[in-house]
Amino acid sequence: MVKKTSAPARSHSYLRFSFADRVQHLAMLLSFTTLAVTGLVQKYPLNAVSLFIVRLWGGIENIRATHHVAATLLMLVAIYHLIGMGYKIFVLRHRMTMLPSLQDVKDAWMAFTYNIGLGKSRPQMGRYTFEEKAEYWALVWGTVIMGITGFMMWNPLATVKLLPGDFIPAAKAAHGAEALLAVLAIIVWHMYGVHLKRFNKSMWTGELSEEEMLHEHPLELADIKAGIADRMPSAATLRKRQMIYYPIATILGLVMLFSVYGFINGEQTAITTVPPQAATIPVYVPETPTPLPPTPTPLPSPTPPAAAEGTQASSTSSTWIQVGPIFAAKCLQCHGALASGGLNLSTYADAMKGGKDGPVIVPNDAANSKLFIVQSAGGHLGQLSADELEVIKEWIDAGALEK
Amino acid sequence: MTKWFSNHLKPISFLIGICLILVAAAALTSRVDAARSLQPPVEPAAQAKPSNDYCLGCHGQSTLSKTLSSGEILSLYIDPSLFHAGVHNQEDVACVDCHTNISRFPHPDFKADTLRDVSIQLYTSCQNCHAEQYNKVLDSVHQKALAGGNFNAAVCTDCHNPHQQTRITDKQTGELLPEARFRIPQTCARCHNAIYETYKSSVHGAALTMQGNLDVPTCIDCHGVHNIQDPTTARFRNDTPQLCAKCHTNAEIMNKYGISTQVLNTYVSDFHGTTVTLFEQVSPDTPTNKPVCTDCHGVHNISKVDDPATGIAIKENLLGKCQRCHPNVTTENFTDAWMSHYVASPTHFPLVYYVNLFYKILIPAVIGGMLLFVVTDFIRRMIEARKGTRHG
Repeated sequence: MVKKTSAPARSHSYLRFSFADRVQHLAMLLSFTTLAVTGLVQKYPLNAVSLFIVRLWGGIENIRATHHVAATLLMLVAIYHLIGMGYKIFVLRHRMTMLPSLQDVKDAWMAFTYNIGLGKSRPQMGRYTFEEKAEYWALVWGTVIMGITGFMMWNPLATVKLLPGDFIPAAKAAHGAEALLAVLAIIVWHMYGVHLKRFNKSMWTGELSEEEMLHEHPLELADIKAGIADRMPSAATLRKRQMIYYPIATILGLVMLFSVYGFINGEQTAITTVPPQAATIPVYVPETPTPLPPTPTPLPSPTPPAAAEGTQASSTSSTWIQVGPIFAAKCLQCHGALASGGLNLSTYADAMKGGKDGPVIVPNDAANSKLFIVQSAGGHLGQLSADELEVIKEWIDAGALEK
Repeated sequence: MTKWFSNHLKPISFLIGICLILVAAAALTSRVDAARSLQPPVEPAAQAKPSNDYCLGCHGQSTLSKTLSSGEILSLYIDPSLFHAGVHNQEDVACVDCHTNISRFPHPDFKADTLRDVSIQLYTSCQNCHAEQYNKVLDSVHQKALAGGNFNAAVCTDCHNPHQQTRITDKQTGELLPEARFRIPQTCARCHNAIYETYKSSVHGAALTMQGNLDVPTCIDCHGVHNIQDPTTARFRNDTPQLCAKCHTNAEIMNKYGISTQVLNTYVSDFHGTTVTLFEQVSPDTPTNKPVCTDCHGVHNISKVDDPATGIAIKENLLGKCQRCHPNVTTENFTDAWMSHYVASPTHFPLVYYVNLFYKILIPAVIGGMLLFVVTDFIRRMIEARKGTRHG
């Protein structure tokens, strides 16, 4: 894939990346960085840095829109890369020097053992070192994963037509984790490999000097010198292959572009304005008859008239006539028609029936009557006064009679 | 009767005025219980004040009334027993502390066309003692409606009958008394009866009104008290998750009912919740189309999630909620795209759990391996640089 520059002898430099390759790298760099920034703030939304970035961007919806634009750019780069690769492989018949091989494993092992002082020398490598191949294939893997999981999140309705619903949160989990892996890999591997170890400018200038070639790609340099590196096919062969490739590439390209369009515009996932939730309930509906000027609600109050009557009556005989009004004043709010806990104290019969856990009044035995026990403990919502409770106690102990 | 309202200001009212200013100033300094500091500070002036019994001498007669120009009858009767039980009487607040233009019989003229007009004219004297609450009300949706000409909007006396209001907060702690808390929805129901009827049937409202359960929210727990805000704004909506979370992340309450306290975490970590939280943090007044708690659970009609008819733990019911915003959804399996507040585990959302587990292993393995190589390579090159050796 390497062509000698027009005057290699004079400059001793070799073309490593064509202009098109470099533009591809730049486009990818821009989209990747944008995706990383706009994606990580979504993965860690409450982080202070994330909040700062979201504010800077003018809100999360802008972040998402930017993320989608960058994702589209990355998809277009990927399509361009595939079409270009097809051209290099089919038309130019370049050797597939990026394919991983057993030699890469051996090279990696050799480099590592050398680093820790066990090996004699660093491996001699060809056009793509094992570090570069690792990065390239990591990028391919990452782009595929991100593309698939991104599609699922972008088009959840289409996805659940084919897959179970939990693929959506799973896709989100994978998308976020894969993003983290990719960013960390770029920071550790790429930063070190081409910036820190030695600042490699070839992705910008396109060239490597003969010395750099000797250091980093000695086997490729040897191939070039021996004349067995990639060569241009003859003009006739080139034309013949182009005639075959161009229509195929056009169709493939259109199909892929159409897919990207579908990816982006495939579905209207959600409506843009949520209907107001409580609109169905009218707000101002006064009670009728209108209780204005306000009066206290008929709830237990410190001195209800009915209770006072009950207290007075306690000195005479104890029957439902005496206790009924106390219940009516203090208890029926809950233990009336609502029968809270199953207990209804509106009538004598209902009161004696008790609650869902059984009777609450044991005739002649107030101490074992649940009603008396609960009220004696105090703190009941409809708490009886001591006097009222005394009336109840006397009534129960006198047999809890109706008349 | 109208004679009683004839204009008869006496010089003594000037003295009372000074007294009241002092009283009001004293009241302002006490935040928890404004009325507590209402002891008349100036003894001679206090003597000039007519006693409440003096007023009740006439106003304790149940027939006392006045016909307004609208034809409505304004009852001037104050039930003495209810008045005596009221907190104002118990704290020695005099009738004339609120009815400041009246000092004695006969009264100055009082003009009001309607019953509503009476309330609107008189409620402002509450601020003399309850300035903190009064000022809060000035920021409320009720006061805004009133300023906009809606005279149905509640004023102080619509919720607190000053002649009968019993103590609603603990005198020492200032905390709402249980009984008062129990009554809140009934108070709001005077004007918001349709909402009250809905609330009563909700899981919260039923627990309160039928079981007397005070763990549940009443109106004021969500809407606030006095400075009640418009609940239809984007800000209120965006703040909803934090509002519900006040109770629903409180293990002390939730454990009693076996309800998860992870509801906020799981919501915020989901796409919907992340978005709403960011809106709430960054642009609280901007509406978002992502759902908040109430969009799925309801507002005043919140039901148990396992309620067969409406509970959203039942997929069919949940699908209906999804379709409010995702009208193109047709299949029930879409509901699983939302993790229903579950934290992924081998039993709930295993796919998500194993994806996370996979990356929990893959990321350290890959990055660790890279670091190992990079660090050893770096050290090796440092050593070589120091030695001055050169390598290819």
